Amino acid sequence: MADLAFDPKAVEQLSPPLVTGQPSLHDVTEAVSIHTEIETHRNWYIALAISGSVTLLLGSMLAYLIATGIGVWGNNNPVGWGWDITNFVFWIGIGHAGTLISAILFLFRQKWRTSINRFAEAMTLFAVACAGIYPLVHVGRPWRAYWLFPIPNADLAMWQNFRSPLLWDVFAVSTYATVSALFWYVGLIPDIAIIRDRAKTQLRHTIYGIASLGWRGSATHWKNYEKAYMILAGLSTPLVLSVHTIVSFDFAVSIIPGWHTTIFPPYFVAGAIFSGFAMVITLMVIARWVFKVEHLVTMTHLENMNKVILATGTIVGYAYATEFFIAWYSGNEYERFTFINRAMGPYAWAYWSMVSCNVISPQFFWFKKLRTNIPFMFVLSIFVNIGMWFERFVIIATSLHRDFLPSSWGYFRPTIVDILTFFGTFGLFITLFVFFTRFLPIIAVSEVKGMMIQTEHEKHYLPATTTGSTEPVKAH
Amino acid sequence: MAEHSSIHGVVADFDSPDTLLDAVRAARAKGYTKMEAYTPFPIHGIDEAMGAKQSILGYIVLCGSATGLTTAILLQWWTGSIAYPLVISGKPLFAFEFGFPIMFELTVLLSAFAAVFGMLGLNGLPRLNHPIFNYSGVAGSSDDRFLLVIEASDKKFDANETKDFLATLGAEKLEVIEA
Amino acid sequence: MSKHHHHDVPKDSYEIPTSTWEKGRNIIVAVFILGWVAALAGYSLDHKQFFPSYLVAFFFGAGIAIGAALFTMIQHLTGSAWSVPLRRLMENIMMSMPILALLFLPVAFGLHELYEWSHPGIMKTDALLAKKEAYLNPTAFYIRAVVYFVIWSFWAWRLSSWSRAQDTSKDLNLTFKSERISAPGMLLFFLSASLASVDWVMSLQPHWYSTIFGVYCLAGGMWAFFAILTFTLLRFRANGILANSVTVEHYHDMGKWMFALTVFWAYIAFSQYMLIWYANLPEETSFFMVRRSGTWETVSGILLFGHFAATFLFLLARASKRNLNVLRFVTVWILCMHYIDVYWLVMPNFSKAGVAPHWMDAACFVAVMSTLALGFWWRLKSAPIVAVGDPRLEKGLEFQNV
Repeated sequence: MADLAFDPKAVEQLSPPLVTGQPSLHDVTEAVSIHTEIETHRNWYIALAISGSVTLLLGSMLAYLIATGIGVWGNNNPVGWGWDITNFVFWIGIGHAGTLISAILFLFRQKWRTSINRFAEAMTLFAVACAGIYPLVHVGRPWRAYWLFPIPNADLAMWQNFRSPLLWDVFAVSTYATVSALFWYVGLIPDIAIIRDRAKTQLRHTIYGIASLGWRGSATHWKNYEKAYMILAGLSTPLVLSVHTIVSFDFAVSIIPGWHTTIFPPYFVAGAIFSGFAMVITLMVIARWVFKVEHLVTMTHLENMNKVILATGTIVGYAYATEFFIAWYSGNEYERFTFINRAMGPYAWAYWSMVSCNVISPQFFWFKKLRTNIPFMFVLSIFVNIGMWFERFVIIATSLHRDFLPSSWGYFRPTIVDILTFFGTFGLFITLFVFFTRFLPIIAVSEVKGMMIQTEHEKHYLPATTTGSTEPVKAH
Repeated sequence: MAEHSSIHGVVADFDSPDTLLDAVRAARAKGYTKMEAYTPFPIHGIDEAMGAKQSILGYIVLCGSATGLTTAILLQWWTGSIAYPLVISGKPLFAFEFGFPIMFELTVLLSAFAAVFGMLGLNGLPRLNHPIFNYSGVAGSSDDRFLLVIEASDKKFDANETKDFLATLGAEKLEVIEA
Repeated sequence: MSKHHHHDVPKDSYEIPTSTWEKGRNIIVAVFILGWVAALAGYSLDHKQFFPSYLVAFFFGAGIAIGAALFTMIQHLTGSAWSVPLRRLMENIMMSMPILALLFLPVAFGLHELYEWSHPGIMKTDALLAKKEAYLNPTAFYIRAVVYFVIWSFWAWRLSSWSRAQDTSKDLNLTFKSERISAPGMLLFFLSASLASVDWVMSLQPHWYSTIFGVYCLAGGMWAFFAILTFTLLRFRANGILANSVTVEHYHDMGKWMFALTVFWAYIAFSQYMLIWYANLPEETSFFMVRRSGTWETVSGILLFGHFAATFLFLLARASKRNLNVLRFVTVWILCMHYIDVYWLVMPNFSKAGVAPHWMDAACFVAVMSTLALGFWWRLKSAPIVAVGDPRLEKGLEFQNV
């Protein structure tokens, strides 16, 4: 093959660079650790002040709700599940991209995941934290929330109803939160050890030393670590599918038209990945610029994520189309009415917002120019998240506002508490990020280094005779 | 046997994974068996080179999975049909149809616990002190240096001889470290 | 790095030795003649049995070809290297599409025997079916079938012919062109194959519906495609063909895919069953009622334990995915299970009382599959059996699981 003169541009297209500017291993350590070591920047305090105040707003809304009752949300109408469940599903969905990137792409040996997985996993945890608030508060008496778990207790004197999908949700979401946290922490251990080894003060050395559990990166360590990582990835993959599957069961096991449809499980999963990737783009575009890691989170990463957005957006479109088609094909009057009502009834504005954001807007990503345009993808990723929020809202509100009994028909309007609570969860989400980016490496350093060396070894398989940039990775 | 009980071993400091791998192979060929490498990221092929056995973590995880699955079945069956039998929406007191989601979740949860704590257990972590931290350049092993330690417990170990041997393998820095 | 031992591996010939090829051809032609004679004899003896038996065989073959096409396109889209040494065989399986269009003719011909809705009388008297007439009528059915086959054959032909052109031209642009048409191709295949599942199988029970049904059929077809691909490669290997190019690393990856699809199929099957079981609506449970009564319940059990549980356990361990003897057994197992799955989808509509295996099931299966095999075998002769012009081939040959 060496005799073939390939166009260097084409070769780069075959195997686009995942790290640009040819940094050495040490440069990577430096780039990723430095932001945890430098003196706290004024902007960090500003960011914390803003996001912290929004979190306080969340806290006061929740306090008001708990003190008064959940009627302060707009739930006192036929749409008994209003914004709370919408927001719960929205946040859970956001989290899914993190697991997808860390687990599924790992199993598929997609090397481009390495620069973004840490960040995305953190996003998973923070999003699940935001999601968890809603069911917790919705029980009305959160101090009794342990009743959700099968803990023998005298005051209840009975057992949970395992036939209820809401109880499955309790297990699914808590398992998901736990396993995601473990996965994230396992990934962090070697990287925390890096910060320990670079510590200039005894205090830092001790704190990061304890947090890294005394990790020493021995061959034995790595052997068991890699096995554990592989197993966790293998477990998280079906787990992430199961979580949104079970969330979809909340709706789909019922006999409510528009909810009871067999495609819900994979359709919810695809939607979750779709919205999660959009959120990763939104955050990553900002973070790579703020923390100056554009050479580690390259255009290739962003473009690949945009391709996933295009693919999952199209799957979601497929699911919408299938639902509509089967509703019509079923010949069932109620099914047919529900879907016509979605598109043309009182919530048509929400439905068409959803379709334009989720199905139409990602189609722009067919064009490479737009896939690689940072301001464009930033705006589009926000559109996708708006669309995915509307998807949950449309599913919940349109099916409930037209009951089988016309006397129970109504229209859902959120209260100011609904709105401020949802707004407040963004504050919590951002605040957690602000802390994360201050104290922990936001890129999986060890993995990126391993990937750089591996890529170096693979280079000679590519027809790289004309690239010119074949200098090996410098170790120091 | 180890004559120098206060010595942990000799550390050789390399600048790339390839020289480290070559050194491991050479040391094995020379007859050394007790060695350990310290690297910033996993090195493909080093376990074979060191003659290390495959991790047994998979079996530990399997035990976790079995426990999780059994717990979920027993829990749902016992609470639903023995402890508090109540017919709800015409469903049986226990059925695998509705029992499956929680069976799955608990299986995954306990498997994940087994994976993480099993890994830490096999690695002997947390352990905050270790002789390797006595090496003056240990910080490099999480950055861009690749260390090979031939331990004093090795039958063939002799501080000077081993040091000289490692020097021939291209180590940029050599040090005897305290136990 | 200098330590790669890839230059020591002996190179394979990327052509099938003429004697082997001729031997294979003779066997397939013999089976082909036998199968069609038996199938045609069956048709003239009992055409009521013939059409359902034939539909099972046809849907089995079509699922595999669609699976091949989908996977080929996924490989183009992800720029995967490990699968490049196998891609020509996938393309050759995918190129069954035009032959399948011919094999569809008996289904089209047997419309009235197979599909209740094709009788105008029933459509007029049944209130529910009357609402579906716009979709379920012979003209629309035929037009849709033509559209499906045009889409499938066109994409298969484009991808396959570009790949073959690249063998000699080594033109890198063909790689990018394939990547470009694969994206819309995936979408079109997904839509058309889902609708085809509705048309050909779901509408056998025209009152029943399930939105996930298309995905269910696609998952099974793709699963069987991997089994047949792996099985073929193992047969090749036994005859010394591609024995060095397709290594245990590649088999390991195919094992992973079969494992993943075992789980995916089970996930889809469970979602469909559980949601219908839980909601307990008569118009939906009808599908499972017949499949959970009498001997059909046994077949459902075989699917649960054989299609899913056993395959899951067979393929769970890393060692078994790397053991070629295990894989050879599993591929045959999977193909049997997929056949039972398709049989279970189709046949309860014709023998509600219980399972009634018939020799014509086998005859039709042999006839359809030998026809597809014949096409596959001829394509092996017309181009190298490995995509020699692919720029990722070297990397794919050297691929190792880490």
